[in-house]
Amino acid sequence: MILLNLAWRNLWRNTRRSVIVLTSVAIGVVATVILDTLSRGMIFQMLNNQVGSHVTHMQIHRAGFHKNPVIQNTIADPERIETVLRSDPEIVLYSARVVTFGLLSSATNSSGISIVGVDPERERSLTTIRSYIVEGSYLTGAPREIVIGKALAEKLEVGLGDRVVAMASAKDGTMGSELFRVAGLFETFSSEFDKTSVYVPRSSAQAMLELGSEVSEFAMLVTDPDRLAEISKRLRSRLGEEYEVLPYTDLLPFLVLQIELYDQSMVIFYVIVGIALIFGIINTMLMSVFERIKEFGVLKAIGMKNGRILFMVLTEALFLGIIGTVVGFLVGYLVYLPLSTYGLDLSAFSGSLRSFGVGAIVYPVLTAGVITNALIIIPLMAVTGAVYPAVRAMRLEPVRAIRYV
Amino acid sequence: MTNPILQTKGLEKIYENDGVPVHAVRGIDLDVFAEDFLVIAGPSGSGKTTLLNLLGALDTPSAGRVFFEGTDLSSKSKSELASLRLQRMGFIFQAYNLIPVLTALENIEFTMMLRGIDKAERHARAQAVMEELGIAELAHKRPNHMSGGQQQRVAIARAIVTDPAVVLADEPTANIDTATGKALLDLMERMNSEKHITFIFSSHDPQVIGRGKRLLCLRDGRIDSPRE
Ligand SMILES: Nc1ncnc2c1ncn2[C@@H]1O[C@H](COP(=O)(O)OP(=O)(O)OP(=O)(O)O)[C@@H](O)[C@H]1O
Ligand SMILES: [Mg+2]
Repeated sequence: MILLNLAWRNLWRNTRRSVIVLTSVAIGVVATVILDTLSRGMIFQMLNNQVGSHVTHMQIHRAGFHKNPVIQNTIADPERIETVLRSDPEIVLYSARVVTFGLLSSATNSSGISIVGVDPERERSLTTIRSYIVEGSYLTGAPREIVIGKALAEKLEVGLGDRVVAMASAKDGTMGSELFRVAGLFETFSSEFDKTSVYVPRSSAQAMLELGSEVSEFAMLVTDPDRLAEISKRLRSRLGEEYEVLPYTDLLPFLVLQIELYDQSMVIFYVIVGIALIFGIINTMLMSVFERIKEFGVLKAIGMKNGRILFMVLTEALFLGIIGTVVGFLVGYLVYLPLSTYGLDLSAFSGSLRSFGVGAIVYPVLTAGVITNALIIIPLMAVTGAVYPAVRAMRLEPVRAIRYV
Repeated sequence: MTNPILQTKGLEKIYENDGVPVHAVRGIDLDVFAEDFLVIAGPSGSGKTTLLNLLGALDTPSAGRVFFEGTDLSSKSKSELASLRLQRMGFIFQAYNLIPVLTALENIEFTMMLRGIDKAERHARAQAVMEELGIAELAHKRPNHMSGGQQQRVAIARAIVTDPAVVLADEPTANIDTATGKALLDLMERMNSEKHITFIFSSHDPQVIGRGKRLLCLRDGRIDSPRE
């Protein structure tokens, strides 16, 4: 304990110098924590946006549809699935959809699209797509309405009330087509989504694709997304091999992988910041050792061994690292708090953010990963920075050190 | 006669000063016995500090040997020598003896901490020794709030609190006034006679030299005129 006490007091022998190095550590930590939470926020938003606006927590298809989404691969008896879903206590909401690829044409232009036939009433609470409508309205339930992205409307040079023709191969192999009227335009977090997705009433899609009452997928929300693995397993066993039950982690594997990789890549980032801070620590600790040469000489003369000298110097740096990190973390947290509520408006960069599906406003996310990264890596790096100064102190010869002027 | 606790045989120390060899100690044969109160006197540059450093296992001789309690110091590693200093010796330097951020009490406890003595015991012993040396009121003062003489008293307390076999003091009174120096010598003398701790100290102050029970005069690294 005396040794810790001694290390602590040594820290404050030159208060100004310690405060300067603490400030630099703190600033490094503030910057890193803010950047880290914002980046995490962006990835989570990418995922949440997609899950919330369209993908939903879980989907059920005829087996193989996710890999090969052809129109023939339909759910022939949707009632059976509905019965299962309705009786499952953990499924809050579900809706049946018709999904296929096709072409949307106006008088001037045409574009490849993903046609989603939905039940407007049920989709209302299932997804948030309705909140992205910027002109007109969402599907009202009237037949042959279509809601498309604003970007697609611009490409096709159509506006509200204009007519467009959708074409796609029908289940019987013929080419199905239907005339729709633009009822609303949406502008989401993702320019890609805006250009490629259109919504029509499910009944219109079923008619156009000769599906009768068949559907392509069930999309649903569960009470607790953390329990998706258990829920999907249960549904799988109730529905059998004929169907695939896919939680969003299977539907958006790339994004999920990105989140998993993020933690690891961020460690490297903290280490890089730590390396930048190491130089400040080396400098401070070297000065501090050089100022105490006589003292180290006396300590070694009276029999203090190198292990303890190493421990003392490293502890001084560890204290610097911990204090700087904690202060930096607290300041970072104070910045994070309002940002996590109000978000950071990155409209200036929203073009590029939208192409990544993030949206214009980023809400930082603080996870346990941020805390452990900051609170472990940075103090460790501070200790690393004290190794060389400590070795210098250990190498001092007591006789020379005491004579040192 | 008993065996000497410190013994040197043909001790030599040659420093290399910018390529010029400096012969600081030239062939010293010396026996120091338990309960000696030995003064090493001599003009500046005569090798007093060098000899004390060799006796205290702080430095290694260029030739010859130092035996401490019968063991040849040259057979020991640096870490073993550090243990030896910690366990068996006490040191008082001319100045800057104390750790500036620790109080007098903590400074005295420090060597006991290094020896692994538990907190309660070292606290009790530090207080007892301060009491004994009449410096109890300094317990919670830091060195920069003490006079030079007070600092040296704390240094003596630190040196003797671990009950060493020998205390080596290099000009312990050089930085303090005569009266304080005398009091300090009284203290060391008392510790020598009461606690049977061997003291070896250097000085070139005639008043201090006169206090030695045994005197060793150095001149150019050689024993000039031993007086027992
Ligand atoms: N580390 C060293 N490197 C080189 N020369 C040294 C070293 N230490 C001492 N000397 C030289 O060795 C000689 C003896 O020095 P030493 O310090 O032992 O004398 P001293 O009797 O203690 O002198 P003083 O009374 O001034 O303290 C001197 O000439 C000194 O310059
Ligand atoms: Mg000297």
